[in-house]
This record gives sequence, C-alpha cells and structure tokens, in this order.
Amino acid sequence: MAENGAKATVTLKIDGVEVTVPSGTRVIEAAEHVGVVVPRYCYHPGIPTRPAQCRMCLVEVEGRPKLEPSCTLQAADDMVVNTASDTARTARQSVIEFLLVNHPLDCPICDAAGQCMLQDYAYVTNQLESRVDEPKRIMGRDRISDDILYFADRCVICTRCVRFMRDVAEDDSLIVAQRGDKAYIDTFPGRELDNPFQGNIVDVCPVGALVHEDFVFKARSWDMDAAASVCPGCPTGCNVTIDTKENQIVRVKPRHNAAVNSWWMCDYGRKHLVMTNRGVRAELPLIRDGGGDGDGDGGELRPVDWATALDWVAEKIDALGSPGGSAVVSPDASNENLFYLRTLLDRLGVADADFRVPQGETAELPTVPTLKLRADRAANAAGAGFFGGRRADGPPNGSAGGALVVLDDELEGAGEDFGASADFFLYLGTRLPGAARNADAVLPIATFAEMDGTFTNFEGRVQRFHQALRPPGLARPGWMVLSRVLARLGDGEAVDDVRGAFERMAAQAPAFAGLTWDGIGLKGAPAAEAAGVAGSAEAGA
Amino acid sequence: MSRRIHPAVVPAQPFQLTARETFDGPIFETEEGKHRLEAALSRYPTKQAALLPMLGFVQSVKGWIEPADMVEVAEALDLTPAYVHSIATFYTMYNKHPVGRHFVQVCTNISCHLNRAEEVLHRFLAETGTREGEVSADGEFTVIEAECLGACGFATVVQVNDRYLEDVTPDRVPEIVANLRGAGDGGAPNGSGKGGDA
Repeated sequence: MAENGAKATVTLKIDGVEVTVPSGTRVIEAAEHVGVVVPRYCYHPGIPTRPAQCRMCLVEVEGRPKLEPSCTLQAADDMVVNTASDTARTARQSVIEFLLVNHPLDCPICDAAGQCMLQDYAYVTNQLESRVDEPKRIMGRDRISDDILYFADRCVICTRCVRFMRDVAEDDSLIVAQRGDKAYIDTFPGRELDNPFQGNIVDVCPVGALVHEDFVFKARSWDMDAAASVCPGCPTGCNVTIDTKENQIVRVKPRHNAAVNSWWMCDYGRKHLVMTNRGVRAELPLIRDGGGDGDGDGGELRPVDWATALDWVAEKIDALGSPGGSAVVSPDASNENLFYLRTLLDRLGVADADFRVPQGETAELPTVPTLKLRADRAANAAGAGFFGGRRADGPPNGSAGGALVVLDDELEGAGEDFGASADFFLYLGTRLPGAARNADAVLPIATFAEMDGTFTNFEGRVQRFHQALRPPGLARPGWMVLSRVLARLGDGEAVDDVRGAFERMAAQAPAFAGLTWDGIGLKGAPAAEAAGVAGSAEAGA
Repeated sequence: MSRRIHPAVVPAQPFQLTARETFDGPIFETEEGKHRLEAALSRYPTKQAALLPMLGFVQSVKGWIEPADMVEVAEALDLTPAYVHSIATFYTMYNKHPVGRHFVQVCTNISCHLNRAEEVLHRFLAETGTREGEVSADGEFTVIEAECLGACGFATVVQVNDRYLEDVTPDRVPEIVANLRGAGDGGAPNGSGKGGDA
C-alpha cells in the first residue's frame, strides 16, 4: 500500500477511468480528478485528521477481500478501484439505514434541507423506508456557543466539528460526550465555545446539527442566491460566498482559496458582513444648485435624477480647473472606485487622499498561517495606498479651500463646519452622514456587496468580488458614477461593466499592469510587485 | 433533572446530565490525592495517560464524579475540562450522578437471571426504599442493575462498592441491607478498593 518511495506519481484506475496522481494522494481525492465524488461524512479536505469512522467512503478495490475507506487509502500503481460496485453501494446503503434509525425526519424545518449530505445520500442510495419499528432516540437542542445551536438528534457524529476545533483551531473545548447511539457533541457543562474561528464548525457540518443562531429558520437553501465575494472585514480578504434572500444578506460562508483563507474564515468577518444589511442608505443624487434662483449655486440640497446631477457636477468641476484641495477616502472602497477617484483628483490637482483605518483585535488560526484577523478593519487599505492614499489618524480635516472630495468615508468626528470653506465639496457615499451637510453634491454609490469590483489584500493580492445585492434607490457603483463624471469632462468613456473599469485601471495604474478581469479569476492574483503595498501597515508582516 | 435514573442503565439524558453541586475542597491537595497523582504520573509516559486512574481515584473517594472534579483532574493533568468530560462520559462505570454510601449493583445477566436475580434486585429496592439509580433518603443506598460481573459460578452476584457478595438469594437481602446499614459492611465511604488503584 505504501509504495510511494521514490516515485512522484502513481497511476490507478477509478471506475474504469485511468488517472495519474501524485503519490501519497488518497483515493477519495484521486477520484475527484475523474469526476467521482465518493460520499463522505467524516472526511473534510481542510481537516488533517481522517478517522475513517463514518464508513461512507468505502470503496471496492480489486483483489482485496474487504471494502476500504477511500479517505485513508493511498492511491497505488495498478490499483483498480470501484466506487459504485454492488458491494460498495450496499455498504453505503447500510450506513445510511443505520443513520436514519435515529435521525429525525424534520427536513421541512431543518436549515440544512437542500444542502444536506444525509438527505442527498438517502436519495442516492434509495434508502427511503425504514425497517425499524422502535421509537427514535430524542435528545433535543443545546447551545454550543453564544451564536451556535446544536440539534443533537440530527447529528451523525462525523466529528468534523470536534476535529476542526482540535486539529485546525487547536482548541480542545469541543468534544464527543457519551458513546454509541447516546453520543453527542458538547462543551464542558456550563461553558460555551469561545474561539474567534468557531463559526467554521457550522460550515463543516454535513447535516443540520450545527446552525448559526442568526440564520436559524431564516431561509431555505433553494430560496437563496449566492455570489462569490471577498470578506471586507480586514486586509486578509478571505474568499467568501454571500447567500442572499430578498435582497438581504442572510449567510456568509468561506470559499476555498489555498493561498488566502484555506477553507475557513473568522467569526468577526461573518458578523461584519451580515451587518452590512443595516443602516439608512443614500439613495438619491443631491445637488445644491440654488433651487432655480438663477445663480446656480447655494440654497438647499435637492434630489435630482442622475443625468442632472452628473451634468451639474461635471460643469462645476470643469469651471474649477485645478484648484488643489483635499480628499478623504474610505479604505473599504474598491480598487476601481479608488482609481477613478484618483483620476478625478489628479484633474483637480489634489495630491493626497487621507484614509483612516479603524483598528481591532487580532486573531490567528494556528494551523493556517495565511489566515489571520488583522488589526486593520478595512478591506482595501493597500488599494488606497496604490492611488495616493495617505494613512491618517483622528477626525478628517475638511477645513482647506479648493476642492474637497469624500469617497464613502462616514466622516466620524468631523465638525459642523466640515467642508464649509471648500470651493466645491463633492460627497460620494453609501450613506449620508451629518458631516456631509455642507456638500455641494451628494452622489449615492453602491456598497461592495452591490457591485462587481476588486480589493487588494494585505499582501497585494487583487481579488474579485461579485454583486450579491441590488443597490437601493438610485445608488450605483462608484466606478460607474465617476467614469460618467470624467466622460463628461472629456476623459475616457462611461463604463457600465466592471471589465471596462478594470481594463482602464490595468492600463493606467502601474500596480495593476498586466492584470485582466478574467485572468484574476475567482482566486485572485498578485498585483505588480514593483508597485509595493504602500497602504498596508502590515505589508510583509 | 432528577437524579433518580442512573446513566449506566437507561438512555442518557445528555443535557440534563450535570448535577450542579460544587465540590468543596480540592481533592489533589489532600495527602492521599497528592500521593495518588504522583504515583500515577510516574507510571505513564504522558500526563494524559493518567486520566482514567485519576478519575477512578476521584470516584473511590466521592462515589461519583461531578463537573468540579473533572476541572480539577483536567488541571492536574494539563488537559481541558471538556476532554475530561468526554472521557468520563464515554465510560459508563464512572458515576456522573451521586450514589449512596453503599452502591449496590445486582447482576441480571443470564446465569444470575436464572437464579432469581430479578427478585433479588426488587428485594434490594424494596428493602432500601428506592427506585433504580436513586439515592435513598438517608444517603445510604443506591441500587442498580448491572451487566455480567464475571462470577457466574456464584449466581446471583451482587457487588456492593468494591466487594462481591455471592450466591445471594432474595431471602438473604434483608439481612445484607441491615448489615450494611449497621456496620458499613461495604466499606465506607465506598471503600478504597480496586476502583481507586492507580
């Protein structure tokens, strides 16, 4: 079995298809190369321990008298594996039958329904009727942590959650209590899990036993839409999938990326993302054009349509020329938004764009060195650095003259007179904070979840995110808005597609030279090395 | 939940398993405790390996193992309380509920059953005035049904704490109970027999 001495690869046959894999590869993984997903419960590619205890992945190997668990069986030369032989299927059906002895048929109220590996395999193995007359064991529900519930009756004791905590998070506080059909997952009596990465146990649960309390009974899997995205909680940029229902984020799950977050993400990121549902949004373009008193200035901010707003803003900027001034940008803005803003700022003669990065606690996942909750609580400080951003502390300074442009910073700590002395104060934001009261124009923009775009993570990795939600009201992506302002000033074209925005950025910004939207793909790609990672306090850390 | 049901003989009730009394006085700060811990640690390559003997020791002193004891064992052996909890609950012969000073286990497997073990059991319950797994009002007795005690040649076998009583008939039960009540025949409290040997 272990004849992987000097050979780099082995060639075996799985379900009649020959496949060559690196030696040491387990059969369950080799099978995926030929498009065969062997049913599994206890095996998870991100969890190093493989107890082979669920007995779901048993396969038949020619010449061996008994079925072998494919999660621990090393692929070997000339091995002939049959994952769907009668023997293998019968064994699998028996496992399912045993699991269903006690598993409740509460699929109609179970949050995992539709995404449940027990449900799937029950159908696959056609195990639809029970031969058991005895009543089912009833255990009830427990609280594993402040936001994770455990439905003991649904549990198949695959121990993925226990092994994630023990072997990945190196936290020995989640265990299997009792044994046999009385076994259940538990913490020490009276204590709850308290680990910054514990939310991952919900993701690894193959059934509906572990559920986040803020998701429970909230959405059926078939009612949700999913979008590939990037967590904006910190500069790590964990790859995530955002699940939405009725234009609300209901759930966030990590998306595998070996170079960034492996299979995991932190709890802060999860909660941060779901929180983006909250708050009152800026929904209409507002301009202060004097309300028709003839001079085209002063008066109250009034809502207008986009064409009017853009025309008026472009006209104002054109008239300003290059007065210099100041800018405040959000380190959560996308690369494309920052790029277009920089183009506009250059035209106005504004050199620096201050950005302020909130700080928070850090947390590390011991066995995954690339995954870390970093102190910076912003998605794209590196990107802000690429485009002339300057890391600043304290309240934003809006007392200078000339032009003042704010991109999605909520101006916390800004005074009553913020921007009052600017010749022209343009506010582009997802929300409308009080400090924008002196703005001459407010252009409502989309959050990262409401548009396509890219972030640059702490190590300069450019990662795509995709639209998960409809923006409210007339809010539109920042790059879409800014490209239109610039187009009215004779600079480039109005873009409707993020590809157009990204292409122009890649052509003009050295940091993004050579990158293409399609080339980045869903796993991201490093920004051009020469550009450095100016905006990140943790570059190289 | 009530503690009348012994976890060894009925389906466990996982979320009502914990009794809330706290243990007053650290067990490993007594002379005996220190000695037992030291002896166990000297015998195994890792601290973790001493877990079962230490749980056994706690049970031999107190008759049962409560969460506070698990915490103490965990601290003594550099383990997490949760891990100790998982081990203590895996093995059904660690009592997770209080038991009386005399812990009476009546074998009802086949040889004993053929020799009127059921009657012996019911007689014990009647004489002690308890239901199965319950602690009697005076704190003296807990009676449970046990699987084979490995002394089939002397059925019915009854284990009282660490002592075997052989060839027990229903008629002998009142006398046994009276003796236990009077003289503490089973060893008090719970003796210091094999259960505690490290």
